[in-house]
This record gives sequence, structure tokens and C-alpha cells, in this order.
Amino acid sequence: MPNNGRFMVGLVGVAAVVTYLIWTGVSETMVYYLTPVELIERFEEDPSFREVAVKVSGEVVPESYRKGQGELEHHFEIVDLEDETATFPVRYVGILPDTFNDAPDMLTEAIIEGRFEEGTFEATLLLTKCGSRFEASKEQLHDQMQLQEQMPADHIG
Amino acid sequence: MNIVGELALWTALPVAVWGMALGFMGGRNGRGDLVLSAERAVYATLGLSFLASLGVIDLFLNDRFDYWYPAAYSSRDLGTFFKVSGLWAGQRGSLLFWLLLLNVFSAIAVWSNRRKNREFMPYVIGVLMTIQTFFLVVLLFAEVNPFERLGFTVADGQGMNPQLQNYWMTIHPPTLYLGFTAFTIPFAFAISALLTGRLDSRWITVTRKWILLSWFFLSNGIVFGMRWAYEELGWGGYWFWDPVENASLLPWLTATAFLHSIQIQETRGMLKVWNMGLVIGTFLLTIFATFLTRSGLIESVHTFAENLTIAWIFLGFMFASAAVGLVLVLYRLPKLRSESRIESFLSRESAFLFNNLVLVAATFAVMWGTLLPLLSEGFMGQEIAVGPPFFNRVNLPIGLFLLFLMGVGPVIAWRKASARNLRKNFVWPTSVGLGTGAILWAIGIRHGMALLTFATSAFVMTTIVVEFWKGTRARARIEGEGWLKAFYHLIARNRRRWGGYIVHVGVVMIFTAFAGAPWNTDIEQTLEPGQSAEITSPFGHTYRLTYEGLSTNINDRAQNLRWQLVALMSVEQEGERVGTVQPEKRQYFVGGNRDPNTGNATEVGIRATPYEDLYVILASVPQIETGMSLNDPSAQQAHFRIMIKPLVGLIWSGIMVLSVGGLIGLWPATEKPRAAKSSPGGRRAVAAAGD
Amino acid sequence: MEILGALLLIGAVVAYLLLPILKGETALLHRDFEEITEAEARRRIALLALRDAEYDYHMGKVDQADYTKLKGRLAAEALEAIRAVDGVDDADLEREIALVRAGMRDGRACGSCGHLNPPGSRFCAACGLALAPPTPAGSA
Repeated sequence: MPNNGRFMVGLVGVAAVVTYLIWTGVSETMVYYLTPVELIERFEEDPSFREVAVKVSGEVVPESYRKGQGELEHHFEIVDLEDETATFPVRYVGILPDTFNDAPDMLTEAIIEGRFEEGTFEATLLLTKCGSRFEASKEQLHDQMQLQEQMPADHIG
Repeated sequence: MNIVGELALWTALPVAVWGMALGFMGGRNGRGDLVLSAERAVYATLGLSFLASLGVIDLFLNDRFDYWYPAAYSSRDLGTFFKVSGLWAGQRGSLLFWLLLLNVFSAIAVWSNRRKNREFMPYVIGVLMTIQTFFLVVLLFAEVNPFERLGFTVADGQGMNPQLQNYWMTIHPPTLYLGFTAFTIPFAFAISALLTGRLDSRWITVTRKWILLSWFFLSNGIVFGMRWAYEELGWGGYWFWDPVENASLLPWLTATAFLHSIQIQETRGMLKVWNMGLVIGTFLLTIFATFLTRSGLIESVHTFAENLTIAWIFLGFMFASAAVGLVLVLYRLPKLRSESRIESFLSRESAFLFNNLVLVAATFAVMWGTLLPLLSEGFMGQEIAVGPPFFNRVNLPIGLFLLFLMGVGPVIAWRKASARNLRKNFVWPTSVGLGTGAILWAIGIRHGMALLTFATSAFVMTTIVVEFWKGTRARARIEGEGWLKAFYHLIARNRRRWGGYIVHVGVVMIFTAFAGAPWNTDIEQTLEPGQSAEITSPFGHTYRLTYEGLSTNINDRAQNLRWQLVALMSVEQEGERVGTVQPEKRQYFVGGNRDPNTGNATEVGIRATPYEDLYVILASVPQIETGMSLNDPSAQQAHFRIMIKPLVGLIWSGIMVLSVGGLIGLWPATEKPRAAKSSPGGRRAVAAAGD
Repeated sequence: MEILGALLLIGAVVAYLLLPILKGETALLHRDFEEITEAEARRRIALLALRDAEYDYHMGKVDQADYTKLKGRLAAEALEAIRAVDGVDDADLEREIALVRAGMRDGRACGSCGHLNPPGSRFCAACGLALAPPTPAGSA
């Protein structure tokens, strides 16, 4: 194994630098990753938590989408995947992802990052679950089949 | 066909188990008949998985919506090409596809070694069959059988998401899978080496081309994904440090390290334990990559739906493989002793070692960042996450250091570089590097990281160009060949080395492209037909984009489009007309009874030049929603986001250069050794050619 | 109909797998002449390194002094590896000798112990014996 002193110094040096980068990287850029339920709980415990940058994953409330004044301003509501009572409004400025959808029968999962400002979550990041990974369950397909049997043949439009 | 396919899948399981058992038994007891049967099992499972895959494709092509998988991913109006790609579109099919590719490579490995490496092969077959058994068990027993029936028939399937109906998205997963599965072969040989005790560099020499092949596919697969994200997602970015992206990057990082460290084991007989760790680790990371994508454990917009059964099975397999690897390495530790030592900090061995160190450090950092939510929840009870700022902060310096090493490694001497050697070989590259940095500073570039990247790139390119120059000149002189011929023969005689240099050129191009990011420009503007927007490129010139108008395409059944809006914009550069861009918004028929809005797609308009991309997004057409007639000019008012992305084209051209280099390295040696040629410079050792 | 197809498929696979065992056919288990032994692998690598060193010298990457030192070491390793190999055929051996002799032109390989000495030496630095007079350029 290496018997050269300078070599060991170099090795240890690189390892130290990388460790430092990871350590400071995490502590300076980390965000709490919460569900809406957890976020609301946190506020109740600690009101100043409202100022903190967080990442929230939840579901888009069906039919909650409204266009804002600006061209790229969007409003919608996000709700917890499990607890329907945990919900709050979101405002996002930017280009809406193509997979964003607030249709009632579509479960659109969304990930937002940002912070609260006067009751509305100001999102700097909005990602919606890639639709390709949405897998209709057997039950959903069964329901659909029954619906189709009752509907006229042309179901487009 | 699909019945045959389903049966074939079930049959494959006992055959794989048979091959596994007989491979190990035959190897242990020296039973050639058992080994032959095991070899046949490898070919048999190939045939069976092929039949199973055909069966699944048959389900799609025949709109068999009494089966779950096509009902969930296909629809009657889906194009044939995409129906076929349905095989790997969803979780289940992609597992079968993985198995198919694994079978193809296993069969090739067994066939090409039917007369060679015989001490290794029985155990290689045993290992490969064990892994195949695992995948078959998952497919058949973890609720992910692609042949699962619904018990009823749906009139039409759910359809394939339009974002998947894109060339890059279709070839991206298969290419990555080719990379992942190809790496199973070196892993199998490594385990075989541990089991048989043949731990010199022979197992490496034998699998070197497989390692390069895997790396080649992984590199391309990752860049295809970047291309897709860039063109389809429409945000102007190509890499987001998303968990699934990271998962595919991890084995690439360790495979890159491995590609370099095996050279040290081959030439100096060192790093044997390290290489074992890397090959086992890379294999585990390939399984981990697919595990992360399927288990739903990390939130990502790419993950398949959560399936805990699969998560546990994969986790179990990874632990078992890691444990087996660890035990074997510990058991063979005496035979894995190093044959020599690093003699100097300034040597090629040292450069390679640093290369390995930083690549593994980057792997660790990316893994840490990706798993942070899971780890923090487990250990702290509170989930925290990090995003691009973290990953960039850690990986940019590492990337820069790696870039630097690319210039140092190939040029510095083995064992111990003398001061003379350093002076001789690094004077020019260092001058060019520093000079480039100075010139760029002088013209106003102040961004530290970018400046360093450009300067180091110039440094590396100089070393490579000088190598080619000197090599060609030496060869031309010695062999008396013309320069062109000398160049060709230079590369042909030592493909690994010169192919590797070309790969480095590709990497330099890609890193340079990354360094263009600080100069990304973007503006937003709402325009009516006839109006223009102007954007100035960091290179100094100004573009003027004039919105000519909106054209529509309604109910285009042939292309599966519910509607399509195309904004035509003419582009002028410094007053001269240079072309057009056509950003679009589309909505597809997606089949089934889904809400129309699910089929949305934004098609970005890109005008690409070698030095920058003009990237235009049709963000919204506000009046369309109010139902205004398009004849009304104000109805065509559109909001645009216009961006300039400097140097991005270098990524796509860089991967092509990398691929050329990789192909050169992969090309089989066909020349016979020649007799040494008489010449004033002395006899040549060309007999030893054959890389 | 499908049952028949199924049985045929399974039957074919089973037969395919079991026949070698039943008939006593065997796969190759031991290496044959194409096999790379450990020693041959070493030899190949040693010769490749020597070739690379030659190239580097002619490319001007290493200068005379470094080259000679490197060459001495590599040629000695190569010789050792060559000796360890069994069953080397004559054509190969010819080439290898040519290679070593090329080394001899610039440095001087000792006739008895094989150690490569710097040019101009009269006695071997390893075993102390007198070195043979230098061979004329261009001869085998």
C-alpha cells in the first residue's frame, strides 16, 4: 500500500475536503420534507416555523386550479394524501408542468418547495408526478369498464 | 402467442434454478456433463424469455385489454411503434425486459467462452443463473406478472402518457438497462474468481470489454435521459438531481472508477481488494438503481407506484449479494495481497488512485443526498431533503478535480515521474490552460467555477492533442508511413489507450457544456402576431424573434392529437434572418375515459447552433380558453418564455465523441502479431500488440 | 391445442437440458492451448509496457536517462515473465528475443544474468561479469 507520505497527505486532504463539502452542503441547503399534515402540526407547535423553507409532498385538490393575474401565475390547493382536512392554498409562478392536472378522478401527486407568506404557500418549485408512472388499479379499471358500458360509444370530446 | 409467452415465463424459473444448481455443482465436482447442461440452461432461458417478451408485445399489438398491463399502458389508437415499446413502459414489463437483456448477455458470455476460461465458466454460469432466478421469482411472485389478467375486459386502455411517446424516452430506458445488465457479466466473473481462487488479473483481462460495454451503454443512456428532459420537459434544464436520475448515476461513477483502477491491477498487481469492492459495489448499485425506481421509497416524479413487496425482495437480494461478496473477499484476502507499492505521489498510479477516490467520494455524496429523506426519517424522526444546490456544491469541485486528472493521468509517468518528465510534458498544457484562463478573464469572464473549467478543459485538450501529435509523428517516422496512415495505425494498434483519449475529449466537451450554465439567459414576453421580442446572447449578438402567428390543428386522429397549437416565430440575428422556431402546445387523445387534460404536452422550439441554443417555450395562449375565435387577432396573443442556453450542444456532440472513443476501445483486435520490422530506430515490439 | 403446444415446449426444454447428462457428453473443463495462464498474462503485460516505453521515448515523452532506467527495469521483468511461461512457440520466442535485443542496443543486457546495464558499461552491475562487446546496429 502507499508508503509515500505526500501521497497519504493528498488522500486524507481530498477525503477531508469532500467531507467538509457534504457537511456544509447539507446543513446549508437542507429543507424539511413534510406532508401537509406534518406541516400544519409544526405550525401549531411553533408559529415561527412559517418562515422556514420546506418541501411538501401531497395531492392536488381536484378542481382547485385558478389562473392568476400574471401570465405564469397559478393558484391551486394541496391536500395531504391521507388526511383530507390538512389542506392549504398554493401560489406558483412559473411554467406549469404538463402533467399537472386537477381533474376529479385523477390523483395528481405534487411536490412543492417554498415557504408560507400570509396564508398562502409561495412555491418556488412545483413538480407533479410523472403520469407515466400512474398505474390504474384493477378497481379503477373495473369502475371504468362499468362506466363505459353505460356510455355511448364515442367517448371523446 | 401470449399463452406460449406466459408458459415460457413459468418454465424459465425451474430452468434457471437447474442452471444455477448444476453450474455450481459441476464446477465444484469437475463434472463436465453437468456444466454442459448448465450451459444449455443459459441458452434455454434466453429462448424462454424471448418468447415471454414476444408474448407481452403480442398482448399490446392485439389490444388485449383483458390483461392488466396493456389496459394500463396502451390504448387502441396508440401507434404500433409505441405499442411495442409498451414492453418496457411499465414496471412489470420493464422487469421482463431486464431479464431478457440479462439473458442475451449471459448467452453471449457463455458462447464466446465455450472454449476459453474454462475454470471460470461453471461458476460464472452459476452466478448468472442465480440472478436470473431472482428476477424470475420477482416477476412471478411479487404481484408484477405482466401476464396478469383483469378478470374482465376494458373497452379501451388507459393509454400511454404523451411524454413517453418521444424518441428519446423510448430509447433511454433500454440503453440504461443494457448498461446495467451488461455489468452482471464482470460481476459473475469476479465472484467466479473468488470462488476458484484465481485472483490475478486474468478475470479482469477477460471481462475488460464487458466493463467497457456496460460503461458505454450507461453513459449513452444517461445522456439520452438528459436529452429527453431537455426537449420534452420544457424547462430548459437537462439534469435535476432527481433521485431516479441519481440512482442511474451511481453505478456510472463507480464503473468509471473501476475502468481506471483495473489498469493498475493489470500493470502493477495492486488494488486487488479495492477492485473486488468496486465490481461488487457497482453491481449492487445497478440493482439499487432499479430498486429505487420501483419501491417508491424515495419520492420522485419518476418512480413507479409504490410496491412494498418488491421493495423487500430487492432489499433482501442486495443484502444477500453484499454479504456473499464480503464473505468471499474476506476468505480470499491472502490471495488479494498487493504485488507492489505506490512509489510516488507524482505518478500515473497516484493519478488513477485520486481519480478513484474522488469518483467514490462523489458516489457517496450523491447517495447520501438521495437517501437523506429516508435516513433522516429513520434516525432523526424528521424527514429532511436536499436538492440541486447541495449536489452541485459537492459535485462541481469534484468534477473539476476529475477534469484536471484527465489531463495529468495519461501523460505522467508510471511509478515515479521525474522533474524532467514533468517539465517536458506539462509545460505546454499548463501554459495553454493558464493562457486560456487569462484571456477569458481579460474579456470579462469572472465566474470562478466556469473560468476554472474552461482553463482546465484547455489544459486537458492540449495534453490529448499533443499525445496524438507526438504519437503520430513518432509512428510516421519509425514505420515510414504517411501521417494519415500513421494516425490510423497508431489508434488501431493500441485501441484501448487512444480510444480512451477520445473518450476523454468527449467528457471534456460535456464538462465545458456544463460550464456554460451561468450564462443562461431568459426573458418572458406576451406577444401578438407581428410583435417581436429581443434577447441578447452572452456571445454578444442579439436575436429578434417575431411572432408571426398561431396555427392550429384540431382532432388530428392520425397523430392522436386532440388539438395542436403551433406558434411560428421568425428569428433574426443582428438584422439578418436566420431561421424559425416553432414552439407548440398539444393535447393528445390518451384513451380510456380519462380527463382530456391529461394528455398535455409542451413542445419546445429549439434553434441549435454549435455554440448555443435558442430555446423558446409557448407558455400559454390565454384567450384560447375563453373560446374566442382564432380569426380575432387578439385571440392569438401568446405568452412566451425565451431562453438562450450557451454551449448545451456540446453535450450531444460530446457524447457522440465519447461513443466513438468507446467503440474504438470495444473493437475486437483482428490483427495477427507481425514480425518486428527493421529500421534505424531499432526493432519494434509490435508482437505484443493485441489490445 | 394449446395444451399440446405447452407440453411440446416443456418436453423440448427438458430434453435439451437432460441429454448431455444422459449421454455423458461433457463441456470443456480444463484449459486448452488458447488459455491465458497467469504467467502468460504477465508476459503480455510486461511486453506491452516495454512497447509503450519504446513509443514514449520515440515520441519524446521521456528522455534518454528516464527511458534507459525504465527500460532496464521493464526488460528485466519481461525476461522473468518470459522464462516463467511454458509452451511458448518458436515464432513468439523469436519476437521476444528481438525485443530484448532492441533493449540491448541502448543498454547492455548481461549475457549471463540478463540484467540490463546502461550504455557504456563494461561490467554487469548485478553479477559483476564482463559484458560482451556491443552488437553492431541492424543485426539480429
